Amino acid sequence: MKANGQAMNGGTADAPSPDAPFALVERGARGLTLNALNDAARALGLHRGQNHADACAIAPHLASAPAEMEHDLEALRRLALWAERFSPAVAVDTALPAQEGLLLDMTGAAHLFGGEAELLKDLRRRLAKAAIPARAAIADTPAGAWALARFSHDPETIAPPGRLREAIAGLPMEGLRLESEALVLLKRFGLKQIGDLYGLPRAGLARRFRGAAGLRVVERLDQALGVVSEPLEPVRPAPLYRAGIVFAEPVTHVEGVAWRLPDLARALGQQLERDGRGARRLALVGFRVDGRTTTIEVTLSAPAATPDHMLRLLREKGLEHLDLGFGIDALMLCARQAEPMSIRQGEMGDDRQMAQPQALAALIDRLEARLGEGAVRRPQARESWIPERGEAWVRAAPEAPSQPPARDDRPRPILLLDPPEPVETLAELPDGAPMRFTWRRAPRRVVKSQGPERLGHEWWRSGPGVANRPPRTRDYYRVEDEQGRRYWLFREGLYGREDADHRPSWWLHGVFA
Amino acid sequence: MTPASLLHRSEALNPAVFPRAAEPLEEVGAEAPGDVGAALAFALSRLVSARLTSAPNETRPVALVTTADWLAERGRPFAGGMRDWGLGADRLIWVRARREGEALWALEEVLKSGTAAGGLVVAAAPPFVTTRRLEFAAREGQAVGILLRAGPAGDLSAARRRWRIAARPSGLDAWDADAPGTVRLRAELLRRRDGPPGAWDLEQDDETGGFRVAAGLAGHGVDEGERPGDERGDGRRAVA
Repeated sequence: MKANGQAMNGGTADAPSPDAPFALVERGARGLTLNALNDAARALGLHRGQNHADACAIAPHLASAPAEMEHDLEALRRLALWAERFSPAVAVDTALPAQEGLLLDMTGAAHLFGGEAELLKDLRRRLAKAAIPARAAIADTPAGAWALARFSHDPETIAPPGRLREAIAGLPMEGLRLESEALVLLKRFGLKQIGDLYGLPRAGLARRFRGAAGLRVVERLDQALGVVSEPLEPVRPAPLYRAGIVFAEPVTHVEGVAWRLPDLARALGQQLERDGRGARRLALVGFRVDGRTTTIEVTLSAPAATPDHMLRLLREKGLEHLDLGFGIDALMLCARQAEPMSIRQGEMGDDRQMAQPQALAALIDRLEARLGEGAVRRPQARESWIPERGEAWVRAAPEAPSQPPARDDRPRPILLLDPPEPVETLAELPDGAPMRFTWRRAPRRVVKSQGPERLGHEWWRSGPGVANRPPRTRDYYRVEDEQGRRYWLFREGLYGREDADHRPSWWLHGVFA
Repeated sequence: MTPASLLHRSEALNPAVFPRAAEPLEEVGAEAPGDVGAALAFALSRLVSARLTSAPNETRPVALVTTADWLAERGRPFAGGMRDWGLGADRLIWVRARREGEALWALEEVLKSGTAAGGLVVAAAPPFVTTRRLEFAAREGQAVGILLRAGPAGDLSAARRRWRIAARPSGLDAWDADAPGTVRLRAELLRRRDGPPGAWDLEQDDETGGFRVAAGLAGHGVDEGERPGDERGDGRRAVA
């Protein structure tokens, strides 16, 4: 499939009229050159790679705009995601500049769309609706389809199975995706069509063209004819489990999606169950009529294959997050990630009938679907004695993270201020406990105190200490004020030894019960 | 208190008995913003006390649901310190919601699921209907829900008990006279469905991590377990 890069930039309000010559220009070593042009410009005899100044001399009324290659590529990638409605394996083909396109692996799938002819018609009709002019071809090999899509007379071409050799024989040599120097050389030998190469001895062909270019000609020919295989690199790995439906009319409301979702979930659940696997990551993809996709994704804390559970998660995540635009005409539910199910699960609908770990997993999934990934956490002790580092809250799994045995039972606060907050203190001795301190503008008198508990900085770790300064030793004090409120204070830095950069400072790190 | 009142077995008839077992939904408020630590610890002890009402060997986790505002102001839960209140790190689940509405919803899900022994949510102003829902959810899931409120509240709520907590100067440390000792706090029961209100001075029980009535401190009330002839046997063993 080939879609015109220039057209894909279009669709905005200031798109040029198709009748006026228009070109996208690119700044290169030789100044401004034409990168892409519309039909009107081509009709005037302009061509790609031409100097912009020359082009303006030929067509003084040529309108132009700077080419935005990254955006073109991004648009093509988006279109590739949209094309996943036809096949799970869609590759963005960027082998040759200005000849970009999409390659879809349709092996064994065309009948789902009413046959190959219907498929091509449907594909181009949908693209046309989204204002994307396109040419498309189906052949036994990607290279063959590439050539037919670009150089066949008909914008929709099908090479019947096993007849590719004849089908591309009459195409110009450009159809082989060759570098320009090889093309020039071939033309110099009078070899203009792909079919001209068929009769030539391969060894001679490879030798005749010096260096890599010669091998390239043979390789490209072999790829086109299917002698060597050419694997596609899909934009993203094809999901193993997917279920889809096509709507007769574009669906513009979330209700329409919600209505059909149970069917999808059931179909996906059956596939997963058949293989004894459960989804860890679900994606619901809507294919919009304007050639884009809209997706919501949920991650599960434990593999699950129950339709009800999947439905609940997607609803909790919010179907309203799907941007339906002018409507979607196909919907796909896929498991982006699947894992073997260790335990046979019961019905996820009623939590109390399930075993505790599964029920907890279902709960965590529901919470995370609505509150966002990573909203549910469990504590995990780490090998560090710096308080804020020694305890991490990791993403919750049904089983509690294994805890190394507690190092000691020194009192610790129940609320930790992270980062610590600065306090002003008054101490009897420079390196003693504070007598008074002011935190959040409220002065407090210390009645009881205990400390110091000295925690050295972990010199083997990089990273800053408090307030982005180099880490220093901390002396922790547990203090109680007149009202009986208990705080965890520390002095950062040691007088006499670590006060070179700045004076030791006081911080409040936590609140006790 | 008269000796006769000690003979009453039912908490409902004896206002002076500290109700150790938690109701499905209770409200815990700090007397002043600075008492948040004490209020949180008391709330945790109420959650752990769920053990008394449901299974004796409760292993289900306990969820703490916080809002973004609260986190920014109060700090984050620190499992190392919660361990001292009878909640091991293996039983803690922290749910971070952005807004209060989400937080209340999350707690309802937690309670309803039946997979958690209880849950605590920080809430400034939960609507009455929501508190009703929470209470039903807690009953359904055989869990305890706690609404942790920043300040005293007089609004309508479905919570069966409303506590007001204030920190009290700590007891004497056995080894160091200058150090903060046994944690003490004042728990005021402002409202309860099953009897008149009361107030107790509580102190931490070092063995269990829970609270017990500080004996001979204020004389406001007695502990359930210290009543003679209590059919629950030795109250201290049941302390959560």
